[in-house]
Amino acid sequence: MAKKQQLRIALAGNANVGKSAIFNQLTGLNQVVGNWPGKTVERAEGTLHFKGYTIRIIDLPGIYSLSTFSMEEIVSRDFIAVEKPDILINVIDASALERNLYFTLQLVELGAPIIIDLNQIDFAAKKGIRIDVEKLSEALGLPVVPTVAITGSGINGLLSAVIAVIEKERDIKPLKIEYGKEIEKRVQTIEKLVKAKLPQICRVFPARWIAIKLLERDTDVAGKIRNYERGEEVLNYAEKTASELEEIHGESSPVIMASERYGFATKIAKAVTIIEAPPKISFEQKLDALTTHKVLGYPVLAAILASMFALIFVGGNFISAGLDYVFGIFTAYIENSLFLLLPEIAVNLIVKGVLSGIVAGITIALPYIVPFYILLALLEDSGYLPRAAFLMDNLMHKIGLHGKAFIPLILGYGCSVPACIGCRIMETQRERFIAAFVAILIPCVARTVVILGLVGRFVGLHAALALYAFDLILVFILGRIAFKALPGEPVGLIIEMPSYKKPSTRNIAMKTWSRTKDFVYIAFPIIMAGSITIAALDVSGFMGYVVNAASPLMNGWLGLPAEAGIPLIFGVLRKELTLILLSEIVSLESLTAVQMLVFSLVTMIYIPCVATIAACVREFGWRKALAIALIDIALALLLGGIAYRLLSLMLLM
Amino acid sequence: MRFRNRRNPERRNPNNEEEVISLTSLCEGECGIITHTFGGFGFVRRLAEMGLTPGTEVRLLRKCSFHGPVEIETRGVALAIGYGLASKIFVRVLKAESNG
Repeated sequence: MAKKQQLRIALAGNANVGKSAIFNQLTGLNQVVGNWPGKTVERAEGTLHFKGYTIRIIDLPGIYSLSTFSMEEIVSRDFIAVEKPDILINVIDASALERNLYFTLQLVELGAPIIIDLNQIDFAAKKGIRIDVEKLSEALGLPVVPTVAITGSGINGLLSAVIAVIEKERDIKPLKIEYGKEIEKRVQTIEKLVKAKLPQICRVFPARWIAIKLLERDTDVAGKIRNYERGEEVLNYAEKTASELEEIHGESSPVIMASERYGFATKIAKAVTIIEAPPKISFEQKLDALTTHKVLGYPVLAAILASMFALIFVGGNFISAGLDYVFGIFTAYIENSLFLLLPEIAVNLIVKGVLSGIVAGITIALPYIVPFYILLALLEDSGYLPRAAFLMDNLMHKIGLHGKAFIPLILGYGCSVPACIGCRIMETQRERFIAAFVAILIPCVARTVVILGLVGRFVGLHAALALYAFDLILVFILGRIAFKALPGEPVGLIIEMPSYKKPSTRNIAMKTWSRTKDFVYIAFPIIMAGSITIAALDVSGFMGYVVNAASPLMNGWLGLPAEAGIPLIFGVLRKELTLILLSEIVSLESLTAVQMLVFSLVTMIYIPCVATIAACVREFGWRKALAIALIDIALALLLGGIAYRLLSLMLLM
Repeated sequence: MRFRNRRNPERRNPNNEEEVISLTSLCEGECGIITHTFGGFGFVRRLAEMGLTPGTEVRLLRKCSFHGPVEIETRGVALAIGYGLASKIFVRVLKAESNG
C-alpha cells in the first residue's frame, strides 16, 4: 500500500498555552507570539517537510472548551470534525494541567486522533510542578511529548510521534470517558436514538458526541440537527432527558456535564502531578502583586505607558534628525549628478517623487515605528496586557465594555488593523463593534508619526501630549455615546491572568522585524506611488485645480494652507503619508503652530486608512465600516474647524 | 455588632464556617468552595467551562478598588472576574489553614 505522503495536522489547545510558539517552531513562520489569551484570532497555516512527508500545519485559535461560547470555538470544532485532520496536536500547558485536560477530554469525545504536546514544562518546573509523562500518556491513552516551545526543545520528538502514529507504529487508544450512572444512561439512550434517526450526521460527528452535546443543550449542534428530517424528534427527546437530569441534580445540564468533565480532569491531573517544592514567592509574583495592586497598579500603568511614549518620542526624534542629516547630503548628491544626465522634468519626477518618498519614509516614519514595535512586543510578551485589562475594567465599563477591550485599545497605538481584529476577544458582536469603533480612534504609529513628527518636533512635546489626552477624552465620550446608542446588555469580564514571563530577546526581535517588514512592504510602495502622483500633479500643473477645489474647506474652514488637501486625500492610503506629502508640498517650518495642531488633529481622527477600512468590512460588513468612516470624517472636520477657531482665539488673548 | 467588618458590609458573621457569601465578599487570601452561581444560562455555562463549577475551591487573590474586578485562583489558574459577575458567584467560606 502506498504511503500517504501528504499530512494535515491541526494544533488545538486553550488560549495562551504556547500554540503559536509551537507553530512557529514547526513551520519556521512568524506567527505573532504574545503572552495574552486570545491573540490568535485568524487561522494560520504553514508547511514543513519531515521524513519524506509534506505536512500542512493549521493553527486553530485558542479556546477553553468546545462548546458554543464563541464563533472561534464553533469554527475549530467544525474544522476538527468536518475536515478531519490526520493528527490533532493538543498543546497543553504543563503548569495548568487540570484546566487544559478539560479541553483534551472534549477533543477525545470528538473522536480526533490526538497527540498531546505537554508544553511549558520549564515554566511548570519553575513553579515546582513536575508531570509524570508516562503516567499521563497511560491515563489518557494518547502519546504525550514534553516540549519547551520557546527554545524549540522537544519539537523533533513531537514530529516523530506524529509519524509513529501515522505509520501505525504507535497506537492511539484514547480513554473512554464514562459519566456518572444517571448521566451515562441518558447519554447512551440519546446516542442510540441519534444513530437510528440521523445516520447522515453520524458520518461527520461521532454519535456519542452529538448525544452529549444535545444533553448539554448546545445550540449550535441543535441547529445542525434541526435541518434533518427527523431531527426535531431527537431534539424533543434530548430536551426532555436534559430536563430530567436537571431535576435530579438541581443544576443546569451544561453545569452538570462540565462538573463531571472537570472531575475527570482533576483526577488525572492529581494522579500525574508531582509537586516538587512548595513555590517560593518569586520575583514574578512580587511584580504581579505590584502591577495589579489596587492603588499602586494605576501609577505603574500610567508610568509604563508614559515612559513608552517618552522613549518613542526622544528616541524617534534623535534617530529622525540623524537620518535626516545623512539623507540630506545623500539626496543633494544624487540630485546634482542626475542634472548632468537627464532633463529637468525627469529629475524633478525622480527626486521629488521616488527619492523624497523613500527618504521621507525612512527619516520620518521608521524612527518612531521601530521603537514602538519593540516596546509593544515587550508589553505583549511579558504578560502585562491582561493586568492592564484587570485594572481598567472599571473604567471600560463606563463605555459599556469590560477590561479586555483595553487590549485592542493598546494594540491600536500600534496599528488599527490588529486592533480591529483583536476586538474578537470581546464576547458579543455589539461589544466587538463598540471596541473597534473606539480602537480605530486611537492614534496608531502612523498617526503618531504625524503627531510627534509635526507637533512634537516643531511645537513641543506638551502640545503633542495634549493631542493624545484630547484623543482619550474623545474616545471616552464617543464610546459612551455608542454604548448608549446601541441596544444590548454589557457582558462582564472573565480573563485568564497568565504568569509573568521574561520576554525572550529572540521573540521580541522576530516580532519587531516581522511587523517592520510588513510596514515597509506595504507602506513604502504606497508612499512612493503617492509621492510620484503628487510630483506629477505638480510638474503638469494640475496641482492648482485640486488645491483650488479644496481651498474653501482647507483654508476657509480649517485654516490650513490650501495645498494641505492633497496630503489629506492621499492619507487615506496611509496616515503617515499626510505628513510626508505635506513636507514635500510646503515647508513644514512655514506652518503656524495652530495649523500644525489642526492638521494633526484632523489626521488623527478622519477616515481610517484603507487597510483599517478593509479590516472593518471583514469584521462588521460594509454598512458598519462605512458608518465608521463617515462618522470619523464628519467628526474630524467638525473638530478641526472648532479647534482652529478656539486655538487662534487663545493665541490672540 | 453592626459595625463589625465594615469593609465587607454584606458579611455579618465572619466566624461562621458554614456561611455562604458572594465571591466579592471574600477577603484577600481567603478560600471558599463554590456553592452556586446564578444568572442567565449563558453566564452559568461560561463559568462552568472556565472551571467554576459548584464544589470547586477558589482562593481570592486580590480585589481591585471601587468595585473593580476580583482575581481568583482556581484549578491552578489565575482568573480575573468583573465585579458584576463575581457577585453572582456564591461560596462557602473555608476556614484559613493554620499556616496561612
